[in-house]
Formats: sequence, C-alpha cells, structure tokens
Amino acid sequence: QCIGPSMLPTFNIRGDILVTERLSVKLGKIRVGDVVMARSPSDPRMVVCKRILGLEGDTITVASDKGGSTKFYHLQIPKGHVWLQGDNFHKSRDSREYGPVPSALLQGRVFYRIWPPQGWGFVGRIPSQSV
Amino acid sequence: MLWKSLSDVAGRGAAIVQCVCFMDVFSNHVLQIQQCIGPSMLPTFNIRGDILVTERLSVKLGKIRVGDVVMARSPSDPRMVVCKRILGLEGDTITVFYHLQIPKGHVWLQGDNFHKSRDSREYGPVPSALLQGRVFYRIWPPQGWGFVGRIPSQSV
Repeated sequence: QCIGPSMLPTFNIRGDILVTERLSVKLGKIRVGDVVMARSPSDPRMVVCKRILGLEGDTITVASDKGGSTKFYHLQIPKGHVWLQGDNFHKSRDSREYGPVPSALLQGRVFYRIWPPQGWGFVGRIPSQSV
Repeated sequence: MLWKSLSDVAGRGAAIVQCVCFMDVFSNHVLQIQQCIGPSMLPTFNIRGDILVTERLSVKLGKIRVGDVVMARSPSDPRMVVCKRILGLEGDTITVFYHLQIPKGHVWLQGDNFHKSRDSREYGPVPSALLQGRVFYRIWPPQGWGFVGRIPSQSV
C-alpha cells in the first residue's frame, strides 16, 4: 500500500493498493519513470513509494523552490545510486532532501494498482491523472 | 505399484522442498554463513577469505553498536556485499580528516585496514537499511575459530 501525499495525483493520500514485482530490481532492469518501493535512507524501518527520475551516471536538473524563488541545479548521480522523487512536487520528501539513493535500497517496481476500483490498471512511467 | 513409488518420490520431494525453504528462511532471518575476501579488514580477517557466521537479528532489531563488524550491501554496487566495521551510528560526530555528523538513519563503515579499504571515507555515511547482518563468529581458518569482537584483532 502506498499512503501519503507524495505521489499525488498518481496515487491517493488515503492509500492505494499496488502490486510490485521484485524481478526488475534484482536483475537491474529499472528504467527512468518507473515507480518503485524502496527502504528510506533516513529511516531503515520505513518503505517509501517514489518515481525514479534518474539512474547512475545520469545528469539530472533539480528544481528547488526553497526560499520563495525557484532555483535549478545540476547533479550527476553516482555509481550504484538512483534519484527518487515523488510526483507531488511540493509535498514529497525524496532525493531532493536526502540525495541520491543507493540502488540496493530498492525493493520492487510498482506495476499495477488494484485499489481504488476506479484506478485498476497498469502503473506507467509518467505521472497519471488523479482517480 | 507405480502409484506407490510416485507417492514416495512426491513425499521425498516435498520433504526436500520443506528443508530448502526452512534453510532459506533461517539464513535470511537468523544466521548465515558468509565469506569475507580482500585486504580491507586486515589484520582482523585474511585476504584470501575467512568464513564467518553472521546473525540477522541485531540488524533487524536495530541493536547494532559501534565496533560491530557487519555485512552490508555496497552503496556503489548493489550486487556486492561488503564486510566492514561500524565506527559511528546516526547522530554521532566522527573525525576522519574532518569532523562529520552522521545523518539520521545512517552509519559509518570503515575497514580495519586503514590504507586499503574502500568504505565510508569514499562513499560517505551508509543508510542503515543496507546493513544485512552482524558478524559474530569466525569458522575458517581453523586457527581463527572464535568470536569476532568489537575491536580489530591480531592477524591469524
């Protein structure tokens, strides 16, 4: 289950029930845009649900709106790491806060939603409309 | 006749599957035997590889202390498991060549071999979720039988 505001509008605050597959992570076949479940780097007992916006070696541009103005900075993702970010730009604690995440923390790739019923279907590599 | 021997085979097959499942669960959640190869833990562990017993419970319960030797997934290569000593826990301030406070949810891993170890001095504090188990006993080489303590030991 993925609860919380960080993946709006793709997933709901109250919690969507998802099916994750473990093979992609184990085989290293994760792509940019995949939604994954990962252990949080700041709390080892917590599992978070975020989207992969960059893989090792990629240079990504991060938008940060701290202090009122929007700043952009570039970052190269180190070897063995990925960049996790929630679909909800304003309310998500993710790599913008704790930096690139070691890929070994990834647990599985979210590929199907089974709850709420009107949200049945595959989870794609771009953020979707709210349900 | 045929039916009886088929059910014998099925019975044995089921027993083997149960055994394998039990061993898998046991080694992932209780005790595991692993090897630690390489120069990074000299003089405590040998280059050619020592065989160690790791226990999983301390990590799962969060009861890891400074000085423990742990197995962890490498932050720079998710397929690699490394064997290092914990020199700092979250919130601790450690001194490397500079002072550094270890962020929440992280630990500082360092090999006993100061000069030849790729560890947190290279990849920074490591998220505790990468820790797999605590090394507590060595079973190979035979002259090295015994508990693995919280300070580096003499070479064997």
